[in-house]
Amino acid sequence: MTAKLKDSLYPLGFGLGFLLLWELAVRLFSIPVYLLPAPTAVLSAVEASLGSHMLVTLMESLAGFMLANILGFVTAVIFVHSKPIEKGAFPLAIALKTTPLVALAPLLVVWLGTGYSSKIVASTLICFFPILVNSVKGLKAIEYEAWELFSTYKGTKWEIFWKLRLPTSLPYIFSALKISTSLAIVGAIVGEFVGANKGLGYVVLVSSYHMDTPVMFSAIIASAACGLLLFWCVGLLEKKVIFWTRSDDL
Amino acid sequence: MTAVIKEQKSFMAEHRPLQKSKEREVMLSLSDCSLSFGEVQVLNRVNLDVYRNEFISILGPSGCGKSTMLRLMLQLLGPDKGGMVTYASSDLSLGMVFQKPVLMPWLTALQNVTLPLELGNKKKFTKQEAREKAESALRLVGLQDFMNHFPHQLSGGMQQRAAIARALAADPAVLLMDEPFGALDELTREKLNFELLRLWESPETSLSSIVMVTHSIQESVLLSDRVVMMSPRPAGVTDIIPVPLPSPREAGMEELPEFHYTVKELRKRVKHL
Repeated sequence: MTAKLKDSLYPLGFGLGFLLLWELAVRLFSIPVYLLPAPTAVLSAVEASLGSHMLVTLMESLAGFMLANILGFVTAVIFVHSKPIEKGAFPLAIALKTTPLVALAPLLVVWLGTGYSSKIVASTLICFFPILVNSVKGLKAIEYEAWELFSTYKGTKWEIFWKLRLPTSLPYIFSALKISTSLAIVGAIVGEFVGANKGLGYVVLVSSYHMDTPVMFSAIIASAACGLLLFWCVGLLEKKVIFWTRSDDL
Repeated sequence: MTAVIKEQKSFMAEHRPLQKSKEREVMLSLSDCSLSFGEVQVLNRVNLDVYRNEFISILGPSGCGKSTMLRLMLQLLGPDKGGMVTYASSDLSLGMVFQKPVLMPWLTALQNVTLPLELGNKKKFTKQEAREKAESALRLVGLQDFMNHFPHQLSGGMQQRAAIARALAADPAVLLMDEPFGALDELTREKLNFELLRLWESPETSLSSIVMVTHSIQESVLLSDRVVMMSPRPAGVTDIIPVPLPSPREAGMEELPEFHYTVKELRKRVKHL
């Protein structure tokens, strides 16, 4: 058995153990289903429609995630090359960050309607700040001597960007991407809470009206799965792209 | 170069102005160079000529502005008003080796050495030429078997060798080194010192002059033709002391009385600072 397979057995074992305890607790103490449904009850509440709702939320989050990361990175590049713009616009970015998304979501629905776009924008807004801050930090994290090296050999601004700043910033960018994966789902679900007729946020809201806790649980777990899926994809990409940092176990 | 050494047979040579200096070709010179960062004056009226075919060490207390002096020579920094940095010719090529290797971790040794050859708007070399130059530079420093290794796969000494190869690949006439072996262990350091001398004397490199910042008195005596002593901040050149050891330098010369004498002399002067 390979070590990798063995490693993945640990979380699997713990997860199964936890589910077993949960099932037993619900049955032993006869907890009512509207408070805490047993895992088997949640499983039987899963319908085919859950998959399509999940896909909707996943697509909204992914679109917001990508949009935020492209916009945030481009903004960071501008900030790094222009001090006045950085000084002028950074406070605005911080103001945007400190405004609770939950407070903005109804406004987004008023402006953009109950379709996909309000959710995508909500997701974009919440993902924008981490990538901006980390990209600015990463693009500036070049070693002074490396900058001197490029200057000595008459490297242009463009070369300093492509051959030095960008690769130096990649580890910072990826840590922002990892943070944003879960935020992107939050953005989409908050958007769905305010006004939607599909998506996991919609399912959670409607099932809460009907006290249909098993369905609610299935939607919550599905939203967690969306976050995990995105996180896992970004992690996989990171391993492929940033091969030069050693990840030693301590 | 042998002639240079011979004329310094007398130990008192340092007190008379360098004879024949007018006949020797100056590669690079600093004249009256002062430099201040805001309120802090780092360099105070530094005068120094670097001649063709000589190895100069700059010795001085840490933090005195030795590295700043190299940056003036590279023209990464400009001197305050009144100072001047002049090159023998406008296309004098300089190489720089830092205390840290400063290798890009995402590039292989070969790609790292090729990097400076491909920078700038004026492309001096084709891709093929740059690659060949980089390969031969890596061979010179003994890294022919590690060309496709990434920096994290190389030892500290090998990383610094790659950094030297990177500086050599661009065919510099003057090589500036800022405590290049300061971060290495004693054994590696000694080995690389002699390798550096070998590279300097080798006809395969274009190297004419080396200016090395160091804080090791022994190293400065063993390697260089002249040792430049700096005072604490604001640093100026207090003394320029010729080293009367024969050339080429070899291992074992640390046993010669001239070596001990010069080391002692330098120690004395450091104490006077």
